[in-house]
Amino acid sequence: MSALLTVTSLTKRFGSQPVLLNVSLELGSGQVLAVLGRSGGGKTTLLKILAGLEAPDDGQLYLLGQDLRPLPPNERQVVYLYQEPLLFPHLSVFENVAFGLRIRRVPEPEVQAQVTAMLAELDLLDHARKAPHQLSGGQRQRVAFGRALIIRPRLLLLDEPFGNLDAQTRADMQQLFLHVSRQHQISSIFVTHDSREALTVGSRFAYLEAGQLTSFAARADFVQDPRTGITSELAFWRSVEAQR
Amino acid sequence: MAASSSFFSRTLLPAYGLLVVGLPLAGLGYALAGSLGVAGPLAGGFTLHYWRGLGAQTGLLGAVLYSAWIALAAVGVAAALALWLVLGAQEALRRGPLRLLLHLPLLMPALVVAFYLFQLLSRSGWLSRLSYQSGLTTSIEGFPELVQDAAGVGIILAHVLLTFPLLTLLLQAIYEESRLDEFRQLTLTLGASGGQFRRRVAAPVLLGRAAPTLLLSFIATLGAYDIPLLLGRPYPQMLSVYIATRLQRFDLRELPAGYLAGFLVALGLLALIGLLVRLHRRHAL
Repeated sequence: MSALLTVTSLTKRFGSQPVLLNVSLELGSGQVLAVLGRSGGGKTTLLKILAGLEAPDDGQLYLLGQDLRPLPPNERQVVYLYQEPLLFPHLSVFENVAFGLRIRRVPEPEVQAQVTAMLAELDLLDHARKAPHQLSGGQRQRVAFGRALIIRPRLLLLDEPFGNLDAQTRADMQQLFLHVSRQHQISSIFVTHDSREALTVGSRFAYLEAGQLTSFAARADFVQDPRTGITSELAFWRSVEAQR
Repeated sequence: MAASSSFFSRTLLPAYGLLVVGLPLAGLGYALAGSLGVAGPLAGGFTLHYWRGLGAQTGLLGAVLYSAWIALAAVGVAAALALWLVLGAQEALRRGPLRLLLHLPLLMPALVVAFYLFQLLSRSGWLSRLSYQSGLTTSIEGFPELVQDAAGVGIILAHVLLTFPLLTLLLQAIYEESRLDEFRQLTLTLGASGGQFRRRVAAPVLLGRAAPTLLLSFIATLGAYDIPLLLGRPYPQMLSVYIATRLQRFDLRELPAGYLAGFLVALGLLALIGLLVRLHRRHAL
């Protein structure tokens, strides 16, 4: 399978502080690359460079063979989703989802049809006329998804999108993300500091620490790497189980 | 502790309530009674004479329309300037001396600004003299009327000078508090241009949240006295100058008409304040 995204030797410094060091990765079409790492490891900077919101000091970025570096963020078709849903507070749920279509001047009947279908898929049809402050945290995050998906992004970048949700809502949102990713064949990079979340949503895995990215060929390699902390957590739960 | 709390609720609170609600309402009631001929130095008993004559008082209607024009133009220009600065000069507003310079006009009394503009813009003022000396004008009449003019340019300019720094600082605070920088980045990745972000997201969010303050500025400009007194004409007059003129006339028989004008203006301003309270409640959600 030819790579959708190819990143080679990406480097970024803020002053004298290196943030990303020779980061290279590949992502195939429809894949979800789960990037695990602690805070301050360079995860957000990596996503912002891919989205065009930060400029790299060095390295190459190709999306479907196209050099991304000269492209401004609004021409990349790469959507960056924050930890917060960041819904437009002055627009209804419907208009939030329709935003990407409105700025592209899509004809009104088409907007109505596409947004209605997206809201139905995300189980938000009953909330279409509500303001963002009338929604729960999970509903807001679903609206943010809908707003991103409706423009059919070539690549979706998720920066710990469920970090502020409670455990149950977070699990529901992970399942919803998996469903819509498969349904729309979305390629994405999903950044998280939660190894369980990485294993749930990822089809490929990487670990980012102190600006250095390690990509894993297989899920088992990711699980076995002591830096991910998965083996030690498994050992902890086994010891708890053994004491019962 | 309990005793001081009791003193506050039994004595200070009612006294304060009387001062800020009771006395203004009493004044309003007195103005109404005066307009009906039952209060005032020459009160001769209940009459609707002054109310019936309201339609013939073109001066009052003129003052209302003129004040509304001045307030609308001044707040509109100030808000547009503030919005333009906040959306176009983020770097300068976050760093550098601009922020400090915006605070300076807030320290100036309205009368000082009016006096300064009179010195600067009147036909005998500095700009007129400079234009005469440099040959741009050949007589005092050659310089345009910028103060005490029919359109109220001088009054509007003075209010803009006083209001736009305040609105800029307010909109900048809303910009930062509403995380509009993050919204900007998000909308860029959704495909929006910088202009689309400003028109479709930033401006509606900023103006929506600043709406109560904009209305408050409108009310303050509508009721302004010292600036129109110095920079305005005898006709048309702004409301406060018009009412003050009526109330200060030597002919005491003019007083009830002055009371009536004051009563109606106060009622109109109270309606605007009611709207302001509703806006506050909506934005508090």
